[in-house]
Amino acid sequence: MTGHEHSSADDEALVRAAQQGNLGAFEELVARHRDKIYARAFSMMRNEEEALDLSQEAWVKAWQRLAQFQRESSFGTWMTRIVINLCLDQLRKQKRYRTESLEAIDEESGGVERQMPVLTVNPTERLERAELRQRIEIALDQLSYEHRTVLVLHEFEEMEYKEIARVMECSIGTVMSRLFYARRKLAVILSDLKKDEAT
Amino acid sequence: MMDGDVQIKLQSFVDGELPEGEARAMANLMAQDREAAALVAELKYTRQALSGHEKGVRLPESREFFWSKIQREIERTAPVAPVPRPVSWLVRVRRILTPVAAVAAVAIAGFIATRPASAGSGVETSLSDPGAFTYRDFASGTTLVWLSYPAEDTLADGE
Repeated sequence: MTGHEHSSADDEALVRAAQQGNLGAFEELVARHRDKIYARAFSMMRNEEEALDLSQEAWVKAWQRLAQFQRESSFGTWMTRIVINLCLDQLRKQKRYRTESLEAIDEESGGVERQMPVLTVNPTERLERAELRQRIEIALDQLSYEHRTVLVLHEFEEMEYKEIARVMECSIGTVMSRLFYARRKLAVILSDLKKDEAT
Repeated sequence: MMDGDVQIKLQSFVDGELPEGEARAMANLMAQDREAAALVAELKYTRQALSGHEKGVRLPESREFFWSKIQREIERTAPVAPVPRPVSWLVRVRRILTPVAAVAAVAIAGFIATRPASAGSGVETSLSDPGAFTYRDFASGTTLVWLSYPAEDTLADGE
């Protein structure tokens, strides 16, 4: 049976069938959640090829560990956690080979973001959705992986500070500082403050 | 310029991570301090801007192509079942004969153990002395014992 033949079943029924070895049911689950899983990998990695590889790897891992899925959360949430863990592992590996820049060290110490002036108008108010998307993408690209990851886990995955601290293996204070920096930088890019300042 | 710790606390307030007492203190600060209120507003704008951002992202491969890669990887990493080897006729015969022989051996042993003793006469060997033989004639009530080695006296005489 192919995945298309399972299109009317709900996630729970598909998971049950897949746990009994039904690959067609699993294909339908992949089809339903693949965009969300890829989007999360892309938000964290900022690289299309890596995001594709890691989301594919997440699906293979999910199939191998399907027996461990106890339905404590939704299947989508369980899958998202798998891809997040794979991305974190990959980012940690990459960090080992990357030299910390002076800017990154300054960001880490949490000093820069506190000096930036607070924006008094809603920077997103006059932006079209497409432009807003583009600026968010630019901002995410410009953030270091530590700041971006904290932002993604908090804003997209809706994790609490302590949970982020646990998965990122750092203190809650560091999480708060990184999140603050990431948001302030994002606000600046959204409002295009730098361009205004230059003119 | 606002104190750094206050800025972080205002962020925690926006994220709902402050205990009740501290949250009340931050709410009061916002009411009195324009800079604090502006920072909270900015933090809320960024949250709002990010909400739903990932929903617009699409996987840049077709369903079939993406699945074909996953399926290939699942099949490649699946544990391989051992292929059964051809069994020779000798092994097959042995497989049949072994249990048959075992059953036969048990049956024979059982038959010997449960066989009634002969009512007539018979020759026995003693388990404690394999060199001693006993002849019993139950009809006449006679028992005759003989040894397959010289008596101790004879040996003693010879020495």
